[in-house]
Amino acid sequence: MRNNKENVNDYPKFAVVGHPNKGKSSIVSSLALDDSVQIGDTPGTTQIKRGFPLKVDGKIIYELFDTPGFQRARRVLAWLNEQDAVSADKRSDVVREFVATHRHDDKFRDEIELLEPILDGAGIIYVVDASKPYGPEYEVEMEILRWCGQPSMAILNLIGDEDYRDQWKSALGHYFRMVRTFNPIEATFRDHMDLLESMAQLKEEWTKEIKVAITILDELHQQKVEQTIDAIVDNMIKTLSLVYKQEIKGEKATSKEEEDAKQGYRQQIMEYEKAQEKAIEFIWNHRSIEKIENVLVLDEVGLFSKESASIFGLSQNELILTGASAGAITGAGVDLMLAGHTLFIASLVGGVVGGVGAMFGFNNLYSLEILGQNLGKRELSIGPMKNLNFPYILLGRALYHASVIAKRSHALRESIKLEDEEFYTEQIINTEMRKKLEKVHIQLRKGEGPSNELLDEYKKVISRSFLGLLRE
Amino acid sequence: MHTTIKKVTIKSYLDFAQLIKEYQGSHEENRVFALKHKGALENPSKLVMLWTKTNLFRLRETADSENFLHHFSSVSNLIGFLFLLMGFFAGIGLLSYSGHAPVNIIYYLLFAMMIPLLSMLITIFSMISGGEVSNFFNLFFSLHWVEKFVNLFAFNSKIKTLNSSFPQTLKKWIFIHRLQLFSLLFSVGLLLSLLVMVVSKDIAFSWSTTLNVTPMAFHELLSWVAKPWEFLVPSAIPSVELVEMSQYFRLGETLNKEMVQNADKLGAWWQFLAMVTLIYAIFLRAILWLVSRYAYQKQLEKDFLEIEGMEMLIREFQTPYVSTEAPKVEQHLDIVEETDAQVKQNRRRAFNNIVGWNFSADEIALVNDSKEIKGVHIDIVGGSHTFSKDQEIARQISRTVLLYVKSWEPPTMDFVDFLELLIESKKVDEIHVYPLGTVGRYYASDAKEVAVWKRKIQGLKSKKVWVIDA
Repeated sequence: MRNNKENVNDYPKFAVVGHPNKGKSSIVSSLALDDSVQIGDTPGTTQIKRGFPLKVDGKIIYELFDTPGFQRARRVLAWLNEQDAVSADKRSDVVREFVATHRHDDKFRDEIELLEPILDGAGIIYVVDASKPYGPEYEVEMEILRWCGQPSMAILNLIGDEDYRDQWKSALGHYFRMVRTFNPIEATFRDHMDLLESMAQLKEEWTKEIKVAITILDELHQQKVEQTIDAIVDNMIKTLSLVYKQEIKGEKATSKEEEDAKQGYRQQIMEYEKAQEKAIEFIWNHRSIEKIENVLVLDEVGLFSKESASIFGLSQNELILTGASAGAITGAGVDLMLAGHTLFIASLVGGVVGGVGAMFGFNNLYSLEILGQNLGKRELSIGPMKNLNFPYILLGRALYHASVIAKRSHALRESIKLEDEEFYTEQIINTEMRKKLEKVHIQLRKGEGPSNELLDEYKKVISRSFLGLLRE
Repeated sequence: MHTTIKKVTIKSYLDFAQLIKEYQGSHEENRVFALKHKGALENPSKLVMLWTKTNLFRLRETADSENFLHHFSSVSNLIGFLFLLMGFFAGIGLLSYSGHAPVNIIYYLLFAMMIPLLSMLITIFSMISGGEVSNFFNLFFSLHWVEKFVNLFAFNSKIKTLNSSFPQTLKKWIFIHRLQLFSLLFSVGLLLSLLVMVVSKDIAFSWSTTLNVTPMAFHELLSWVAKPWEFLVPSAIPSVELVEMSQYFRLGETLNKEMVQNADKLGAWWQFLAMVTLIYAIFLRAILWLVSRYAYQKQLEKDFLEIEGMEMLIREFQTPYVSTEAPKVEQHLDIVEETDAQVKQNRRRAFNNIVGWNFSADEIALVNDSKEIKGVHIDIVGGSHTFSKDQEIARQISRTVLLYVKSWEPPTMDFVDFLELLIESKKVDEIHVYPLGTVGRYYASDAKEVAVWKRKIQGLKSKKVWVIDA
């Protein structure tokens, strides 16, 4: 890994600039896959420039700068024009002089913040809202940027419903080498990559690094898909094989004990699902997401409960074998003492007596108390879930949630409304898919762990469905 | 970095399982760790063990492995010693010579060969089977019941809890591995007792059975049993004569005269019995112990890589850490609370001055016509005009001003500078800022956009300025 000193300045940088409130922060948030960027409809939400480096093992591949919008562009241009006339190759020096002169002037704080990364070598990404008409006041900003002499492109962001892209394209074409449409709210991963491809063309020297970044981001996307599938499958296995146990007091579970156990079982499943959702949100870098979700309802799903008893932690069958073994051991002792003259009869008799004794004595022993402690224990167990449709409800919910999260732009700040099961279960999991998944569900219902081969096939089927949802 | 970590142990298994529940590290930290130990990157288990060792100090409580291994080894030593004693005393019992009846070698063979072979056969069944079937085979072993019994005691609860956290197959191999060791100790005890008894007592061996077995047939059977050491220790194979003279009939509880005459020769059986014990009870068991040890290690390594959280950690070790986040904490803007103090719903129809911020003269004419607003003076400010020109216009403005602005363009400081010129002008009485929507929407502005203007104007705290929200 190269050290930081070597890494300074030799990677592509891009400053996202423009008028206030044109979606600069949204574009940066979307490109940087970071939902921590403050986005607001109040002009001046971004007050200082903020660098978003794409780092791989500490090495910066490229860096995006979110900047404040132009506030006093006319005055800046007026200052630049007031200076002695210079040739085009020296104009950036005049801008540099402006920055140096006004560095501590609060009036130009925003302009200084946005010009600094450009003067430091960053390519210019000028953002406009193409859903609103073009106005000549933008020309002042574009003129200042032209003075900087850095490679530049314009992004048409469609914030509203109207479309004035043609107007904008004819105007922007005079100032920028490239004009691209990019809606950070609706942009897919592919759109993101296409925009990076365009950025790679801004400067020949940057092409290689940006191509590397595209490959890295592609791999990262693939890894996120795999991690999502793993999280879903882990949760399916945990939930479908869950056996919830609760101790009961009497011979039979009371209806309250049964209800409590069912409640505990449901609670556990819901906690598993929540943990899975959190893990998926973490994988896709959505740290501050708010959801209006539809809670998993298990009331309609039949839950089977089973009572069992044990003494010293041994089931009745184990106790019979224990009794038989104990009897046999005792008998063997007798045989041994008699040097085998009993032909093992004592062992045989001991085993039978012990086993039969344990069988008939189970209920008596169960209620026996020693020093106030009952030797026996009765348990009520619920699960694994026998309902045949439940795995598909669970999987449908997981895939739907994961696809919403994976597709969600990091520029979005409003809460997610997750739809009801009826909306997606049938759409996501078709009959063909059910057939393939059922093999694993049968094993989980039996309380058995599926083989690695079966699990790989299971993951593949879920992965295909998830990728299909991502393409939609 | 020099390290002594070589293979996965129960300690590394338990330490990792406990640590990963409390501390996972970030992808960045884990990747940095892996890059620092590049030599171990090809061996995930080794890297994970190193990671565990490095981070073990993060555990809030004593490592489970310490308790487990302490109790486990204490219990194992105790059980192992008991098995050794049991073997020894079983041997003493089997070889006890009452002086009336000689020691029946068939009974000894049962313990030194038949039962061990049967037990090894069941062990093999348990080894090759899985799940419930394997559990069933394990029920035949006394160790299973001894462990059940030990688990009843409170001191063993920690072992029980941790043991139950192991995967089923690993539990099976731990059991089988221990079983082979204890059985080996039992057999060693048996052999020791044979040697002690042979040295300390004069034992008369015989063979006796109710079945109609001739000495020749019995000799043939014993020769088959002695096949493994046929060439190595030929003296440990009983001769036909020895077999013939050793046959004992219990009838009348008296010894055969021939037997008494050859009493010194009967002792020659011990070599055969020692070899039976050594080969069938000890050597074969030792092989099985080695096999079970190998299988247990393989299973431990396999299950170690399947501990919850392991896959993620290894993935983080092997995957380049990609970050896109900004390191700097963003400076947040203080949002001014919105009030309706300086907002007008109704607008005047006439103004002394109508000024368009970033509008053209034609656009202002169209708006005035559409909104039926009249003005004495109409001016254009902002846009491509210079600020000094705006200053000039501001100086000429007096009394009431209607200031058209584009609602979708948020107020910049450039606009605020111009507005402040008007506010500061003593000639100006009232300034009405009118945010207009696009022509396409018939100048209707969006409530959110107007709210931005309201907030900005309220922030100026001037009683002269009003925002028209019509």
